[in-house]
Amino acid sequence: MAEVRFEKVGKRYGTVDAVRDFTLEIVDGEFMVLVGPSGSGKTTALRMLAGLEAITSGSIFIGDREVNQVAPRERDIAMVFQDYALYPQMTVFDNLAFGLRRRKVPSADIKRRVEEAARVLDLGALLQRRPGQLSGGQAQRVALGRALVREPQVFLMDEPLSNLDAKLRTQTRGEIRRLQLQVRTTTVYVTHDQVEAMTMGDRIAVMNDGVLEQVGTPEELYERPANRFVAGFIGSPAMSFFTGEEVGLTLPRNGAVVGVRPEHVRPWREGLIGPLRGRVAFVEALGRETFVGVDVGEARLVVFEEGRAAHDVGDEIEFGLVESGLRYFSAESGAAL
Amino acid sequence: MAVAAAPLEAAGAASRDGSPGERPPGEPRLVGYLYLLPAFAVFAGFVLYPLYRAAYISLWDWDGLTAGTWAGLDNYAEVFTDEALRSAFVHALILLLFYAVLPLLIGLLLAGVMARARVRGLALFRAILFLPQVIAMVVVALMWKMIYQPGEDGALNRILGWFGIEGRSWLGDFNLALPSVGLVGTYVYFGLAMVLLTAGVQKIPTSLYDAARVDGAGPFREFLAVTLPGLRGEIAVALTLTTIYALRNFDLVYITTHGGPGNATTVPAFQVFSRAFESGQVGSAAAVGITLTLIIFVISLGINRLAERSA
Amino acid sequence: MTSRAEQSLGYVILGLFSLIALLPIVGILFTALQEPGGLAAFGTFDGLHFENFKTAWEEGNFGSYLKSSVIVSVSVVAVAVLLSIMAGYAFGLMRFRGSTVLFYLFLLGLMVPTEAIIVPLYYDLRELKLTNTYWALILPQIATSVAFGTYWMRTYFRTVPRSLVEAARLDGASSWFTLWRVLLPLARPAVLTMTVLLFMWTWNEFLLALVMVSDEGLRTAPLGLSFFQGRNTSELSLMAAASVIVALPVVIVYVFLQRHFIRGMLAGAVKG
Repeated sequence: MAEVRFEKVGKRYGTVDAVRDFTLEIVDGEFMVLVGPSGSGKTTALRMLAGLEAITSGSIFIGDREVNQVAPRERDIAMVFQDYALYPQMTVFDNLAFGLRRRKVPSADIKRRVEEAARVLDLGALLQRRPGQLSGGQAQRVALGRALVREPQVFLMDEPLSNLDAKLRTQTRGEIRRLQLQVRTTTVYVTHDQVEAMTMGDRIAVMNDGVLEQVGTPEELYERPANRFVAGFIGSPAMSFFTGEEVGLTLPRNGAVVGVRPEHVRPWREGLIGPLRGRVAFVEALGRETFVGVDVGEARLVVFEEGRAAHDVGDEIEFGLVESGLRYFSAESGAAL
Repeated sequence: MAVAAAPLEAAGAASRDGSPGERPPGEPRLVGYLYLLPAFAVFAGFVLYPLYRAAYISLWDWDGLTAGTWAGLDNYAEVFTDEALRSAFVHALILLLFYAVLPLLIGLLLAGVMARARVRGLALFRAILFLPQVIAMVVVALMWKMIYQPGEDGALNRILGWFGIEGRSWLGDFNLALPSVGLVGTYVYFGLAMVLLTAGVQKIPTSLYDAARVDGAGPFREFLAVTLPGLRGEIAVALTLTTIYALRNFDLVYITTHGGPGNATTVPAFQVFSRAFESGQVGSAAAVGITLTLIIFVISLGINRLAERSA
Repeated sequence: MTSRAEQSLGYVILGLFSLIALLPIVGILFTALQEPGGLAAFGTFDGLHFENFKTAWEEGNFGSYLKSSVIVSVSVVAVAVLLSIMAGYAFGLMRFRGSTVLFYLFLLGLMVPTEAIIVPLYYDLRELKLTNTYWALILPQIATSVAFGTYWMRTYFRTVPRSLVEAARLDGASSWFTLWRVLLPLARPAVLTMTVLLFMWTWNEFLLALVMVSDEGLRTAPLGLSFFQGRNTSELSLMAAASVIVALPVVIVYVFLQRHFIRGMLAGAVKG
């Protein structure tokens, strides 16, 4: 186990900067999630850490060793690929043992480590099967096992859950997290799914367009987003953005963009800012709660109501804002105010 | 991944040749040359170097034994001036009809008919239709030499005899020899065209045919409007392959007619051989070989360019 | 025309042309089985006489011709397959300076006919005293085979998911190990197709043998057949038997592996 450090790391392809000035410190034993939309540079950053992409500028440190020129196999890392990349003609056992055999680990040790990993991941019955005979979930676990067995300093995971169906994804999410807490290996985990990030990460690094927008605990990102992008990216349903002018309210920090999460936009009652009136644009009834999209002037806000709400599209609705839930962002830079 | 993947792809392609500083550590770099070396060495030594040598030899007037004299481009000019060479290239063009066009027509006929049907047992037909291509051309040539045998013994003459048609000396007749040889080419390659085009036509969505039907198109119109355009790729492949085979038909000519009678069936491939090893005109032979290569290049590129553009 | 009628017509056409394709072949088989020395011509049937094959083998020396063909074909194919896999691997999965240019050179080689290089090959090899040896047949054919094989294997290797190669690299496998132990087991069908095609082209090669070989002991089967027919123009049954012997090995392989042959030939193979 070791800490991982990115210092002003950049990656340039021709004239395009996939990653720019990326600086991040990952603490020993931490589960760090890199999250962002497609093209944000998160996978590129991970691949540079793995040694699968050359680093254009800056340095990456694993432990206290600079690894820019170090080959992947010397970095003492293990990676779980998005498509699992299992060796198709080998048994599960051989897949798990592959990396160890390449490193000349004695076969008794190999056997022990493989069987241990198989036990932890419930792969015992599958050891003699070929990847072609495995289900998606089983293949995913073998991919995890292959990394586990190596006992590396750092785990790298590149969207390992995206090929699983929703139910399996939720289940496996928890399993990966539990596993990591058990072995306490530093883990860098890439995903585009912010729910995954929020539920799994010790800390989350939000990336956008090659740049690190904010890094912090899930709570920090949720409650104190550093800019408009992070505010809108984290949390589901997303934050609503509007200006005081658009909805006809006078709010502090004139001219700033206001962000507010649905749970801070409620049907009108005393103590809220407002009342605001608007027309219902959509209704998302989820049983225990309902999200109602409301058009107010030129803005659209999402209102949170408990239980079932009796609204139809086109209805007029009256609602208010919880003051403590308001976040202000600069209209020009998007930075939090 | 669409938006950023595009510039990544393009830029990745730009650095594909491996400029320094772009290589991840541990990725095979110089070792690539090592893997390549044995294959390239043999290839360079026994294809590239001889090609260069052929170009060199073609500029000389040489009999293969004594010293040669410089000829410049004379040997190439001969392609147009020499009777035998001119005939050879003309014959090659004619043979194209038999090797490429005829099989293509047969293939198109089948494709047109099978456009909407799903053929079962195509595997068996395919295996049979491809068989002629698998047999050594020397053997095919011999087979047909026996079929074409003059007099009453030749199989073809015998069959024609049943219909009261007089038998001929197919390979010995000045006018019949070339078509007779050509038909052998048709025999070998019609299977290729048939299979290629039938496979291609089954990939054309039936909805296109339905739309044409609804628009009131008759079968011929359908063929022109839907089948033919849809088969563009396969036609290109079929034409490229058969054209090249048509130009490289040494074996067939050597065994059946040796270029004769006279020069009636001489072809460029045969001219290369006879000039280099029978009549001591090595420089000329080399020139013919190079010309043949250039023609093959041009035709291959041309057909594929045409196919791409109209796609 | 209804779909049904179209289908029937299609089968008729397929059947008709299949028959046409088979007829000469069946004819030559029958001729080969005719009474030796008989006057019956191509395509007549008068009982099964297998002696023709024995005669062709012994008197016609086809045992020796086949041996030469086997030596040449096996050598060429074995070496060419090995070299093509390695070169295709380099072109398909590695990035290095000049790889595009070098690959285009191979593509160029694919379009160069034997007829173009036979002349310099002969005279240059004669200088080296290598004509009339197996080397003169093996080396040039390895070269032309490698042009096709490299193109073929590169096409295959480019379909391999990059993540598989990266996983192996991360696991510490060398490029050599990755090629032979990780990728090749997957590549079996592609390699098999390449092997049967190269075998067919090498076995059937005539011009090269005709030019290079003068010793009867070195004659390959197609060349032997050409000489044989020159001596036996009247003995049709014998000639037919010899023809069958020459064509048989490839046809047998074809019968068992047609899928591979056909797939390879349809993939726009530009050689042979």
